[in-house]
Amino acid sequence: MPRIHFGQWVESAVHWLQTHLNWLFDAISAVLTGAYDGLNAVLGAPHPLLMAGILAVVAWWLRGLAAAVVTYAGLALVDSFGLWDAAMATLSLVLVASVLTLAMAVPLGIWAARNRTVSGALRPVLDVMQTMPAFVYLIPGVMFFSIGPMPGLIATVVFSMPPGVRMTELGIRQVDGELVEAARAFGTTPRDTLVRVQLPLALPTIMAGVNQVIMLALSMVVIAGMAGAGGLGEAVYAAVTQVDIGGGVESGLAVVILAIYLDRMTGSLNERVSPLGRRALAKAAATARGAAYATFLRYRPGTAVATVGVVVLALVAGGMNLTGGGGKDSVAAGKNVGQGKRIKLGYFPWDEAVATTYLWQNILEDRGYKPDVKQLDPGPLYTALAQGQMDVQFDSWLPTTHKRYWELYHDRLTDLGTWYGPTSLELTVPAYMKDVNSIDDLKGKGGEFGGKVVGIESSAGNMGILNNKVLKEYGLDGEYKVVSSTTSTMLAELDRAYNKKEPIVVPLWSPHWAYAKYDLKKLKDPKGVWGTGEQIHTIGKKDFVKDFPEAAGWMKDFKMSEQELASLEAEIQNGGKGKEKQSARRWLDAHPGVEDKLAPVAS
Amino acid sequence: MSRLKAEHLYKVFGTRPEAAVKRLEGGADRDELRADGTTAAVIDASFEVEAGQIFVVMGLSGSGKSTLLRMLNGLLDPTAGRVLYDGQDLTALSPRELRAVRSRGISMVFQHFALFPHRSVLENAGYGLEVQGVPREEREQRATEALELAGLKGWETSWPDELSGGMQQRVGLARALATDADLLLMDESFSALDPLIRRDMQDQLLDLQTRLKKTIVFITHDLNEAMRLGDRIAVMRDGRIVQNGTAEDILLRPANDYVASFIQDVDRSRVLTAGSVMIAPGGGDSAREILAAAPATVGAATPVAELFGPFARSGAPVAVVDDRGELAGIVTRDRMLAALGDEPAAASADEPREAVIAGA
Repeated sequence: MPRIHFGQWVESAVHWLQTHLNWLFDAISAVLTGAYDGLNAVLGAPHPLLMAGILAVVAWWLRGLAAAVVTYAGLALVDSFGLWDAAMATLSLVLVASVLTLAMAVPLGIWAARNRTVSGALRPVLDVMQTMPAFVYLIPGVMFFSIGPMPGLIATVVFSMPPGVRMTELGIRQVDGELVEAARAFGTTPRDTLVRVQLPLALPTIMAGVNQVIMLALSMVVIAGMAGAGGLGEAVYAAVTQVDIGGGVESGLAVVILAIYLDRMTGSLNERVSPLGRRALAKAAATARGAAYATFLRYRPGTAVATVGVVVLALVAGGMNLTGGGGKDSVAAGKNVGQGKRIKLGYFPWDEAVATTYLWQNILEDRGYKPDVKQLDPGPLYTALAQGQMDVQFDSWLPTTHKRYWELYHDRLTDLGTWYGPTSLELTVPAYMKDVNSIDDLKGKGGEFGGKVVGIESSAGNMGILNNKVLKEYGLDGEYKVVSSTTSTMLAELDRAYNKKEPIVVPLWSPHWAYAKYDLKKLKDPKGVWGTGEQIHTIGKKDFVKDFPEAAGWMKDFKMSEQELASLEAEIQNGGKGKEKQSARRWLDAHPGVEDKLAPVAS
Repeated sequence: MSRLKAEHLYKVFGTRPEAAVKRLEGGADRDELRADGTTAAVIDASFEVEAGQIFVVMGLSGSGKSTLLRMLNGLLDPTAGRVLYDGQDLTALSPRELRAVRSRGISMVFQHFALFPHRSVLENAGYGLEVQGVPREEREQRATEALELAGLKGWETSWPDELSGGMQQRVGLARALATDADLLLMDESFSALDPLIRRDMQDQLLDLQTRLKKTIVFITHDLNEAMRLGDRIAVMRDGRIVQNGTAEDILLRPANDYVASFIQDVDRSRVLTAGSVMIAPGGGDSAREILAAAPATVGAATPVAELFGPFARSGAPVAVVDDRGELAGIVTRDRMLAALGDEPAAASADEPREAVIAGA
């Protein structure tokens, strides 16, 4: 069977699209990002508890008092987790994605219901959309639309479209053929048959589809967090990658609260929207009228009353925004180099990246910049830098670990120099593995280690070296298998094995806080396969020096010693998840003079 | 000119239907086509329906009667042949023109009522008017009137699923009447109802018909229903119309064994009329003597069942008189029993029936 280079064709097609249809993607991106930003601004504007009130009134309208109370409590909980802004960002993304999806899915479903050929052609396409792993198009999404909400939006639309199309088609096909015939027999036009008979009767099924679309959109939005979509997805992702169990559960719970709210609301919307649903509702109300004790709980405001409630709360929110806010502490005079200029710092969840990024966030803020910090995977981050969507990142391991990205994008990036080095890559075992001191010693002990090396992200450079070189050179490739997982999984596995004193071997690197936390042993590499140490570079976008001349100057002179880095990382570890910025600030306060050394201001 | 005329209608489902029509015209039968994967639902159907007539198409399921009905308002396109409605060829119309005909001229009543569950009774009855674009006020007024005609006054605000089957079909009937369409197509409209309700609906339809004088094509598989309602009856079998005539024609002169086997179970005494079984007064008695001796004097349209009473009182023949009260013929007890006892040959010998058929 000859190799069919399907992947290559797709790749060149993607590149062709990238170069030739860039204007189109920019236009789509502008419209959709605009919609998302607008909605996010609206949802995020009111005070959280007021916004929760508005959502609770909607719940009251659709489901009754109990639902409203539960809604309010759930949303207040989200606020108390400190996840309100993230939740509203997620809600905005879900709503924009759902509206976009339905705008395409319902007409497609109608078309498919009326035309067997369309239906047949659509089916495999929908299957692909539903089953193709999201990451496969999340990354091209980044290439076309850069990081931010757009790739997540696209991935969400792709993933959540199939049930919308299928349920619409099913709903219309399910309508009794005799009714359609009756409509035709009275001279109804095909369009009117659709509008007056088929759609109203298919509405319950279509609404079930809408519900599915929204739920799938919500589940996808979390995955989209990895491509920089922000919101709860990012919170979940950040927590998980940093083995922050508490934070993970809290942000996960926030997702669940949103999910239940959206599910119940769209479910009840059916009753309000479809004629059949309204009838069922009226019937239920008529039978329930006898039971007086529950009338208060069952009372639901009419549409008009609910609208008035929402408007009043929104007006209160608007009024409060006018009077409140605006109390931003100003930057010390003479140090306002940045003049409020936005600078986007990207990082992936490696400890030295987190440490330096939040350190620089504090410093840049003190110097009058407005730094935005965003967590991304290495691939999307390099892509974003190359496209100028991100400004700078501090954790580029060269020449080995990030070689691929550097080779791919070096002509669109600026190397701002190294701030730390040399680093080292190694295989590491706990110190209690007495008789394993060198990679050579692993030979013949495959059974003891379960035949596996617990690896990290398969995209990481050291994983490549481990797989392609280290195991081969030391003749271990039949005996050991490298299990790719994530850095956090690897560290969790190390922690687990370490506590039970089980044998384990992991690929690790220095600097790393794990060496401080556990008693570990770096395996010797007599053949020098891991290569010599690397330097950690600061990498900016192509025009970084032009756009941020002062900051670029500071970053070029940026240096950190191993002690400084270790104490900074420790401070951030101790401060806990979500408080990285404050922790870095504490570290700066504890090391007077460092800030002025790193970012000198001519006085 | 007849109101509705079907000329050599064919409907063939499957691949290459036109070729199948050619073969059917060449004498091929239905089973030969079925072997090739084509189904001939209707084969060479021709008939005419006069204004104000109830034309019943009767046949068992699969005989093609529903397909035939759907070609009459263009819901199905005939594979060959023409449908003339008031002389207008429906098969030649554009979809838009055809919709206009359906909306104003031809309405339909369905077997399973086909009421729109998301519309109230009034909205259902007014559906056709809504399609025509009649303004709401007029629409509601006319729909209310139609519901009243159908015997549903006071149920306007109910919903279809709150009504019994018979009442639902009354809504279906009202919906068809509301448009003032002259031609009503009724597809097994009473078959889904239980026998008592069905009889009720039949009576009501006949009653309405005396007032409204619609032209009705009525599909049924129930011969008694056909005999009760039909001014003319077409019997269908395997896609063909095997006999087309009045109830008495079919009863007295079945065209073939199939029709004959069909009519076995019919209550002949309710279909046969005094006029159809009477014979010329024999012997030397004058008309006056016969009238004096007869236990009863009846019109030609009186069902034979109503002669049982007079015969129970007297053995003398019953006198049958024409519109002017003059003696037209007599029915003897023997003659009546022979007619009821399924002896068509005896009955057909001297009747002027053929003239009626030719004139229909």
